Amino acid sequence: MKAPDFSYFEAQNIQDAIKYKSEDDEAVILAGGQSLLPALNMRLSSPSCLIDISKINNLNEIKIEGDFINIGALATHSDVMNNDLINEKLPCLVDILKMVAHAAIRNKGTHGGSIAYGDPAAELPAFAVAMDAEIVLSGLSGQRIVNAKDFYRGLFETDLKSDEILIAIRYPFLSHNQHLIFDEVCRRHGDYAMAGLMARVELDKSKINNLDLVYFATGDKPNIAQNTAKLVIDDRYDYEKLKKSLASEIDFAGDLNSSSEMKLHLATILINKILNKLER
Amino acid sequence: MSAKNSVNISFSVNGENFEDVTVPTRQHLADYLRSQGLTGTHLGCEQGACGACTIEMDGVAVRSCLVLASQANGSSITTVEGFDDEVMQKVKNNFLKHNAFQCGFCSPGMLMTTKEIISSKKKLSRDEIRSEISGNYCRCTGYQSIVDAIEESINEIN
Ligand SMILES: Cc1cc2nc3c(=O)[nH]c(=O)nc-3n(C[C@H](O)[C@H](O)[C@H](O)COP(=O)(O)OP(=O)(O)OC[C@H]3O[C@@H](n4cnc5c(N)ncnc54)[C@H](O)[C@@H]3O)c2cc1C
Ligand code: FES
Ligand code: FES
Repeated sequence: MKAPDFSYFEAQNIQDAIKYKSEDDEAVILAGGQSLLPALNMRLSSPSCLIDISKINNLNEIKIEGDFINIGALATHSDVMNNDLINEKLPCLVDILKMVAHAAIRNKGTHGGSIAYGDPAAELPAFAVAMDAEIVLSGLSGQRIVNAKDFYRGLFETDLKSDEILIAIRYPFLSHNQHLIFDEVCRRHGDYAMAGLMARVELDKSKINNLDLVYFATGDKPNIAQNTAKLVIDDRYDYEKLKKSLASEIDFAGDLNSSSEMKLHLATILINKILNKLER
Repeated sequence: MSAKNSVNISFSVNGENFEDVTVPTRQHLADYLRSQGLTGTHLGCEQGACGACTIEMDGVAVRSCLVLASQANGSSITTVEGFDDEVMQKVKNNFLKHNAFQCGFCSPGMLMTTKEIISSKKKLSRDEIRSEISGNYCRCTGYQSIVDAIEESINEIN
């Protein structure tokens, strides 16, 4: 299908974009367009105007800022994968991005776009939550920082205000005994997952000291499984017990590919897959 | 600061300059190219899934159904019609040799993805080739012959 009619505004700087957005409630930001344009082509939404931020300079920088790696909103998935700093300091992100769509889509799709969109099936929002990342937003009244955990509210619902633009994501460094391990089940390489898990593990020798489990493609947003994580620390992998616990703390929502029961099953076995990866 | 429903843009396609042409803002780049007679760029899904519309924009492969024509302002584009250099001639010959086309619908996208594989200079295994072309659907060949053609192209060129 073809997109409905909308007007187009090419923002030259962040202030331009913020001002425009604050004046028109129905206008939406266009970054890489790899989620927005399919939605428009399918006529799932009909904005008044697309505010194209993709030409704004310096919004794609990847750099170290204090205790954080700062990824500018407009860095494409390919930019991040090919960046030396990321390969050195946050190599797990490169492996995760290999699972995001296909090369031609990663060449356009942006880090900020994926975080701002908050697709519950997407890898990066769950990654940001598991990493305890900070999200930098800019609006009429200046900048503010929101913790990724507080940013996601519900299905495609975030803390982003109507005059705000996401400008960067700040990831804290992992210490030598912390690991971010991820796995997902999908029908085809590059497809959205049927269920996926980001686990931040803190080890004391081979014993798990601390564990955060954050699921994607399971519910309405990145789902944190706190109680289940405690069970894993106490008695490692017990399918029935973990499944029961997951069922009680996540509201699994089925989709076209898998029912909620299927997702619950996959979420449970993903814990085993993660533990196996940890032992390797 | 004003928004419009059509914009004037300039860009180049296969070395030919398009100066100050008017495009509707809602038109994607694939439709614009096809409206100019460049029908080698195919449209299957218009949602990024099938890969038939893949073109090269400023040196990287992109889905032309997921780029607005208005966003192409100032860019340099190559479509399948522009594949006349020595490298792509060899790739095309290998596709012919291995019967990697049947109906040909997927071929422009497959060739574009092959171009990106070749320019990465990596020696890929057959499994890796399959993973690289996982974003391009082919409903005819069963992929085997396409992997053969890409494998031979990598060996021959890189
Ligand atoms: C075939 C296909 C397969 C895909 N598979 C996957 C996958 O497996 N996993 C995955 O995670 N993703 C996948 N994607 C989505 C892809 O990663 C997108 O690039 C990404 O989700 C959105 O980034 P974008 O820059 O393209 O955003 P856009 O499409 O430009 O924008 C998406 C939304 O976010 C808003 N937005 C964007 N940037 C900002 C900003 N800086 N500030 C405020 N709001 C903003 C827009 O207004 C819009 O509502 C796939 C896409 C396609 C087409
Ligand atoms: S038509 Fe663009 S990916 Fe299918
Ligand atoms: S040759 Fe027909 S789709 Fe590939």
